[in-house]
Amino acid sequence: MKIIFDWRLSRVVDEQGNIVDEIFWDGQKSPSSVANRLLKIQQGRLIPEVKTLSERFPEAQIDPIGVLSEPNWPRWDESEEVFQRATLLLARMGVADSSRDMDRRLEMLVSATLEARSSWVAAESRCIEWAGLFITEADLDSQRHEIPQSIASSGTIAEASEKLGVSPPKHMPSDSEWSSMVSHASSVTSSSMILEKLEDSIREIATNHMPSLSELLGPISAAKMVSLAGGRERLARMPSGSLQVLGAHAAMSAHRRGAPPPKHGSILFSMPQVSRSPRWVRGKIARYLAGKASIAVRVDHFDGETWGKSQIDEINSEIEAIKAKFPKPPKRS
Amino acid sequence: MANKSKQIVWGVRREGRTLWTRNAVKGVSVRGERRKRDGRIEWRRWDPTRSKVAAAILRTRDDPSTLLPNPGSTCLYLGASSGGTVSHIHDFVCGVDNHHGGQLVAVEISPRMVRDLVKLSDRRPGLVPVLGDARKPEQVAAFIRGKANWIHQDLSIADQAETFVKMATSFLAPGGIGILSLKAASERSSEGDDNSRFQKAERILMESDLLLQERIDLKGLEEQHVVFTCSSSTGN
Repeated sequence: MKIIFDWRLSRVVDEQGNIVDEIFWDGQKSPSSVANRLLKIQQGRLIPEVKTLSERFPEAQIDPIGVLSEPNWPRWDESEEVFQRATLLLARMGVADSSRDMDRRLEMLVSATLEARSSWVAAESRCIEWAGLFITEADLDSQRHEIPQSIASSGTIAEASEKLGVSPPKHMPSDSEWSSMVSHASSVTSSSMILEKLEDSIREIATNHMPSLSELLGPISAAKMVSLAGGRERLARMPSGSLQVLGAHAAMSAHRRGAPPPKHGSILFSMPQVSRSPRWVRGKIARYLAGKASIAVRVDHFDGETWGKSQIDEINSEIEAIKAKFPKPPKRS
Repeated sequence: MANKSKQIVWGVRREGRTLWTRNAVKGVSVRGERRKRDGRIEWRRWDPTRSKVAAAILRTRDDPSTLLPNPGSTCLYLGASSGGTVSHIHDFVCGVDNHHGGQLVAVEISPRMVRDLVKLSDRRPGLVPVLGDARKPEQVAAFIRGKANWIHQDLSIADQAETFVKMATSFLAPGGIGILSLKAASERSSEGDDNSRFQKAERILMESDLLLQERIDLKGLEEQHVVFTCSSSTGN
């Protein structure tokens, strides 16, 4: 005996296909109530009629797709329109719900930051070169950070030179040239601000969404890692070896064709524990850190006890121990 | 339409190397495709480089009409994406305001794509957008009115063939057609080259209860893709 159902009718049928019992849904057939029932069925929860039938016939098996093979299931032409509207409503609700997903929100922030940073780098270096062409006495290294701001906030290039504490240029830009320079420089300063804002919100979300991983790698790297993996859950389910090479996609595919394996991906390499260590221990440290990071993200995802400073200190001292163990490069054979 | 065009099924015409479907929403292109009028009928160009089903129709050695559902049938489309191909299928399975009484259930897991699909379904009665996992029969069963006469699976996941066999076993009606678009790049990277992946999928289909009809290589229209056409074994 089995229980088969759709959103309108639930039915108990025996092995011979005879109808033993059935309940019609007598609720109001509005798109939203139908959408709710469809959602319940889709999520594998029981609709009330199935529950009732299951209590009446405890031995009957509930078959969620059995209705499809039922030859004498009634057709529902009259409720086609309300069904159609319900499915549209349900799909819309699902789309609206996707903004609840912190992974997606983090992904937007991480990608926006990445793009903003790459355009900022190009614009900033152009701004410096441009200013340097005219203001020849300014030090482009030590005064680098002041230059965009000085240009953007000045009325003339002489004023900008004054702000930078150097003598005015020998040749002046034309009026329209100078005004372009100012707009360009102010776009650089405003994109620095945008970048800061973006990173602030990543920090805020990452420390909430994956506190342990953020404690271990820093919130920005933690967020990048989650976004590379395609979500916190996927990162949590990854073996630590995959985590170790996240961001080393090209090196990994070269490895599949026979090249030596990458020691670490871009995110682990950005950790000072890895990049500031001697070359011959980087792989060891990256492997160790990846292992710890994979534990950290599992702690975060599966509601474990969040790591605090003491755990991180322990990890860092272990890293120091690894470094101390291998003070010299291995001998080449 | 000119005399040289040939009808494949109702609402689908072939003209040389191009395909056209009878537009169910007059005056609207779904993704910028060409439209042309023929009296009171408007036709929409079905681009074989953007639709694997269209490519398969052009490439098949069988009668192309055996690959397509008939007007008024029940269809299941797994991995609908933003609904490009779906819209063409809808054109002839449902028609204007679904006067054929067809049903086309389009399943897609990405909310971003379902957003576009909803917009499409708004003007196309009979098209049912479902936000859900196309690998899970329980997530789809509530939306389809019965077993499907036509199933197309186009998913970028590993184990596409296994999934297809599972879904077709649950949903394909006796005498129905199942079409699997297999993307080599989505299968597990450790298992040999593209061709061996296609062969593995072919083996899985042959060992299943489905009857494999044809393997269609889409080279030139869609790289690294083959389409398998199957029919459900007769009876049940």
